[in-house]
Amino acid sequence: MIITIEMMNMSNFPLAIIYVIGAVLLLVLPRRIRSAFCLIISVTAFVFLINLEAGASLNFSFLNYDLMVSRVDRLSLAFGYVFVIMGFLGGIYSYHVKDSLQQVAALLYVGSSLGVVFAGDLFTLLFFWEIMAVSSLFLIWARRTRDARKAGLRYLLVHAFGGSALMAGILLHLQQTGSLLFNHFDGGVASYLILFAFALNAAVPPLNGWLADSYPEGTVTGSVFLSAFTTKVAVYALIRGFAGLELLMWAGAIMAVYGVVFAFLANDGRRLLSYHIISQVGYMVCGVGIGSVVAINGAIAHAFAHILYKGLLFMGMGTVLYATGRNKMTELGGLFKKMWLTLIFFMVGAFSISGVPLFSGFVSKSMVIYAAETAHFGIVVLLLSLASIGTFLSIGLKLPYFTWFSTDRNLKPEPVPPGMYIGMGLTSAICIAIGVYPALLYNLLPFGVHYQPYTAPHLIESMQLLLFTGLAFWLVRKKLHTEATITLDTDWFYRRPSRLAFNVFSVSISELFEAVERFSLRLAGYLVKVGANPAGYAVEATRNISHILLRTEKPAPEPSTFSPDRYRIPLGFMVLVVLLVLVVILAWDFLF
Amino acid sequence: MKRHWLIASVAILIIFIILDLLVVSGHVHVTFPWSHVPGFFSLFGFLGCLAIIYGAKLLGRYWLQRGDDYYDRNDEHE
Repeated sequence: MIITIEMMNMSNFPLAIIYVIGAVLLLVLPRRIRSAFCLIISVTAFVFLINLEAGASLNFSFLNYDLMVSRVDRLSLAFGYVFVIMGFLGGIYSYHVKDSLQQVAALLYVGSSLGVVFAGDLFTLLFFWEIMAVSSLFLIWARRTRDARKAGLRYLLVHAFGGSALMAGILLHLQQTGSLLFNHFDGGVASYLILFAFALNAAVPPLNGWLADSYPEGTVTGSVFLSAFTTKVAVYALIRGFAGLELLMWAGAIMAVYGVVFAFLANDGRRLLSYHIISQVGYMVCGVGIGSVVAINGAIAHAFAHILYKGLLFMGMGTVLYATGRNKMTELGGLFKKMWLTLIFFMVGAFSISGVPLFSGFVSKSMVIYAAETAHFGIVVLLLSLASIGTFLSIGLKLPYFTWFSTDRNLKPEPVPPGMYIGMGLTSAICIAIGVYPALLYNLLPFGVHYQPYTAPHLIESMQLLLFTGLAFWLVRKKLHTEATITLDTDWFYRRPSRLAFNVFSVSISELFEAVERFSLRLAGYLVKVGANPAGYAVEATRNISHILLRTEKPAPEPSTFSPDRYRIPLGFMVLVVLLVLVVILAWDFLF
Repeated sequence: MKRHWLIASVAILIIFIILDLLVVSGHVHVTFPWSHVPGFFSLFGFLGCLAIIYGAKLLGRYWLQRGDDYYDRNDEHE
């Protein structure tokens, strides 16, 4: 085994290492300083991050393969920044958590996401991709409820399937091209397998079932992390590998509306938000598919802004869940006076995702729509605008209306730890800062930005959309009563037939084993009985057969009163047989 | 009360139509069939919102919505 390592220095340092070391160290530290230690790791990672230099890489030769465990360019840096920042904000929000399982899982999850983003070759990518799937799983299982356990298992199975497709694609790609470097793919079976795996993690319908199934089952703080990483890592991978694939543009535009429609039907607050992840990732996937400079910039900007405001929204609904133990709109209402601070933070997130001017979504989402306009895809523009309407309807109006207003259910919220408020406050501040001063975000994008969101036509268009969506909501709000239902989604295809599969692969096989066992025991018993007296049974059988053939009246069934001694052959007969055989052998010997 | 709302929304719509005519029309960088309809996005917002609400509700009522325990019924195997 030959391993050569180039000089590792500050300009190409793989950030994932910091989180992996941190996760190991965390376990040996005293429990009360673990939360603070998580924050220290994020800060350390940030210090290393700002010292990375675009263009640097860390090559590593392993078993005759050239790996590039770290590749720093402006694309990976943009995602790196938002991941480290979100890891820090999530750490503040979950400062009160004393569960080391969640802390370790969160650190490994953030670290492996960074590992994927800075991976220069497909082998490293796959390695971190799988760690991401497993570590995020524990953020779901850490809730330790029956539903979480089952949803987590489904999450694991889906991602194991995606990971296998990715590995198959990578091996094929290696065989065809001889290179493991992760760059733009040129088509062929290998790249379709890889595209499938990326699309599965980006939750592109019909591969979206796992997201809204599992994210609402995560822990209060775990879902904040979940909402940020997996899908956006997939967006990064799509940008790197498949920018400009027109299929993705249409998939993204449809996905944006798909998520909105399903979100409207959701009853669980965090499930509603999960469907809006699908919808928002649709904008990014659409931007990737358009593939122009402004579209790619838009996709990255939107991913950046989205991670922050979606994290904030999950923090808001998580706080409600923490304080009341409830998350379904049919069980919530009238929290305005008791949780007004959470409402304010939540509304910052809601205004951001809806693209209200001066909030972060306004400056990022519009870049993708602008790119679609420039590329002259009118239908895409309309679909994305429709998704904007649905977003404001569900998150800006419906969810807060039914959670903080509507029917007062006299809930008595528990006090909320200050860390949760500080986490929400900081995230809100960043969302507003990006909205007010977009250059903060635009300066991080890989290509120079010549886009100006605050123009009179754009402002007027946006205000028209938002105000008249609000008007329509106000007119029909009385008819929007929520229902305690669930909505079937593509996870039906593996959840409903699971009973059938269980029967085919488990119940039926164990029944087959039982039948074989019963049969062989009976066969053995029968053989023992027959073996005790084969001649007797043979005589019995010939008698029975002759009765059947001659159609005479059948004698009384013998075996019940059967006595072996009755048919036992006399000893002399056996002696005679032996003697005769001896005579035959001797005669044979004599004659020949 | 109802009339109040109606007047307010019509007033806002008129303001937007005027703004569209004065500010937007001359400055659109790419033209689509709807670029020259003043107040198009007001209409789109209003109708789009209703379309999503009723479209989703229809889809849910007749196809996708099931009881809360849909996946848990007859689930004796853990």
